[in-house]
Amino acid sequence: MAEQIIERPALPKKPFNPTSVWLSGWLALIWLIIFDLELSFETLLYGVQDIFEYFSRYSRPNFEDLSRYVELLGQTLATALWGSTLAIVVAVLLAPFAARNLSPNAVTYRIARELLNFMRAMPDLLLALIFVAALGLGPLPGALALGVHTAGFLGKFFAESLERVDNGIYEAVTATGASRIQLVMYAGWPSIQREALGYMLYIFDRNVRMAAVLGLVGAGGIGLALHDTLRMFNYDQSAALIVVILVTILTIDYLSTWIRGKLN
Amino acid sequence: MAKIIIKDIGKRYANGFEALKGVSAEIAAGSFTVILGPSGAGKSTLLRTINGLETPTAGSIQIGEQVVTQNNLREVRSQVGMVFQHFNLVDRLSVMTNVLTGRLSHRSWLGSLLYLFRRTDLDLAHDALIRVGLTEKAWNRADKLSGGQQQRVGIARALAQQPRVILADEPVASLDPVASEEIMGLLREICTRDGITVVVNLHQVELAKRFADRIIGLNDGLVVYDGPASGLDRVTLSRIYSRNGDQVDEQLETMLAYA
Amino acid sequence: MSNSKLCWPTPNGRPGLVPTLSLLACILLLAVSATAVELDLGRIVTAIPRMLAFAGNLLVLPDWEYLPILAKNILQTIEMTFLATSIALVISLPLGILAAKNTSPHPAVFHATRNLLSLMRALPELVWALVFVSAVGLGPLPGIMALSFVTVGFMGKFFAESIEVVDQRQVEGVVAQGASWLQLRTFAHFPQAFPDFVGTVMYVLDHNLRAAAILGLVGAGGIGYDLVMAMRMFDYDRLLPIALSIYIVVTLLDRASDHFRMRMI
Repeated sequence: MAEQIIERPALPKKPFNPTSVWLSGWLALIWLIIFDLELSFETLLYGVQDIFEYFSRYSRPNFEDLSRYVELLGQTLATALWGSTLAIVVAVLLAPFAARNLSPNAVTYRIARELLNFMRAMPDLLLALIFVAALGLGPLPGALALGVHTAGFLGKFFAESLERVDNGIYEAVTATGASRIQLVMYAGWPSIQREALGYMLYIFDRNVRMAAVLGLVGAGGIGLALHDTLRMFNYDQSAALIVVILVTILTIDYLSTWIRGKLN
Repeated sequence: MAKIIIKDIGKRYANGFEALKGVSAEIAAGSFTVILGPSGAGKSTLLRTINGLETPTAGSIQIGEQVVTQNNLREVRSQVGMVFQHFNLVDRLSVMTNVLTGRLSHRSWLGSLLYLFRRTDLDLAHDALIRVGLTEKAWNRADKLSGGQQQRVGIARALAQQPRVILADEPVASLDPVASEEIMGLLREICTRDGITVVVNLHQVELAKRFADRIIGLNDGLVVYDGPASGLDRVTLSRIYSRNGDQVDEQLETMLAYA
Repeated sequence: MSNSKLCWPTPNGRPGLVPTLSLLACILLLAVSATAVELDLGRIVTAIPRMLAFAGNLLVLPDWEYLPILAKNILQTIEMTFLATSIALVISLPLGILAAKNTSPHPAVFHATRNLLSLMRALPELVWALVFVSAVGLGPLPGIMALSFVTVGFMGKFFAESIEVVDQRQVEGVVAQGASWLQLRTFAHFPQAFPDFVGTVMYVLDHNLRAAAILGLVGAGGIGYDLVMAMRMFDYDRLLPIALSIYIVVTLLDRASDHFRMRMI
């Protein structure tokens, strides 16, 4: 037994594990933020008490105006559809330039990437504000804002998918003497077809959600109605509107999940 | 340390495939048994029913004095170490943590939530790493090791459990010949020195002959040979490796010529 | 018949039935909905000069005295994002485990959690912010509540999806050690799904920063309020710095998250 202890090779020194540092840094930061934002748990507790009472006011949805809501909902869906279409068109045109392996040169790559980044960085409600100022009220500026913003997302997703395609496929098509456009059309898009469809569905999904609030800045749709009823403390109608929006979004959510499941 | 009693084990999968058609065997405590057979013979299924990774549809398994049921799986598994063909280490954890997972059945849920172990667990894991000769890799990430080294970690993980039985499912099928030799030698040494009952699935006849005390030949879900390694002649081998219904199998003849 | 005639690579040289029909359906749908969005090319064309004038108006010197306030509000936006994401992270982890097919204790729990999560993420942050502002008053608190609430819906779903693709063999390696239900989650599923979790958190941070930047629109804290006011009052000397700082912060986080994800794998 004594021999065994002497022979026993020691473990190497345990390397430093940074997890604890990350964790404590994170907690410290949270504490600092709570302190800086002057959030007090007391307010929160009172708030929570109030919230239950507050939510109970929404318990009697009033569907008298349902036909108007459905019309507004149609407008919201149309806005999302046109916004998504615009995004798809722009993204399809820009993505090949923003993919490192398909872009003609480093300059066009940079420009395309930065352009997509810029479109993505601008929140769509900010864009909607600007377009409303230029075009006047209505769903059209909303569709434009959604289109510009999500084109940035879709373009980036497409470009990254195009970059992930197996290089052998590109080489095989290039070896036939194909031009760059032919390379994109016959090796690029067909290889990412499924992914791309998934992204489009995802973007449409997202745009329906956002279209529902664009009304807040005067860009049409059901959001404005909700804003007005909430402002006038008209809980019954607000509840009805929320139910209508919720049902629509959930339906589209399940539909797109189902389609995505079919795609795979 | 513990004998294993396999009684009339049958297993039919949900898709209707019958992997085991009534297998019985009594494996002596502290012995080194090799289960031999072609792929699809049910070797894996048999081994996995022993520690309850598969639930048999008929028959029963007894380890030592304990009958394996759905309710004592944790207890059974804590006494049975398992070594896998693809090592099945948690890639992103360190070698040490992987070995320590062998102690999990002795730790509480709260400690496990915080990745805490006891000093005694660490000592056991350290000893296990010494046994497989990997102390200096203790803090490396598991997926950074070579195949042979990963399998040694797998064995250390089984050892850290202080098991009564070690089951090894094709432990050398993904390894090169040198590493295979090393791993089989290690398992044999563990069996001899610690008296742990070892059951190994293999498909290499040559390895089986050299290391096993006893060989169980399995074909199409049935035991077709059960006896010492010396009893493996051409006739028994062709019985083990024959494919359904084939009387004369050219490929089998060729294969056996090299066995 | 001339052989140089163009044709499609289909058996009969004509376009396939399914692609043609789906394309037609799309065009029809767009045409029908065109009236609903009040599509009018003329309106867009006439708006171009106004857009240019607007862009021209932006080219003014910033309102220097406003900059310190801008910095404070941007910081508040970042803080709201970080806090809301952290709160959501802590809640989403257990929910994600319950909402993953392979780690959920029971199919009923799985379905219940999945549905709860889709319910939580159905309505946009802004709607919840509106509701919470009327419940707890103006300020960053309702914004954080709204952000965390919706984020749980997204993050829980993403976590669940990453857990579902964990390599089953590695899990089995730990099962065979006699690990308990919870130990499997911490020693097999969690470490394996960790890189995906980091990716999700970075993605969600990115999303939340953008969302936090506009929550001020309904009085829920952050830079959004100043943004809307500057827009409504035509304070161009404030508008440009605000938009620019949002752009910079979002871009910086974007780069940081790309970098982080690369390193994690």
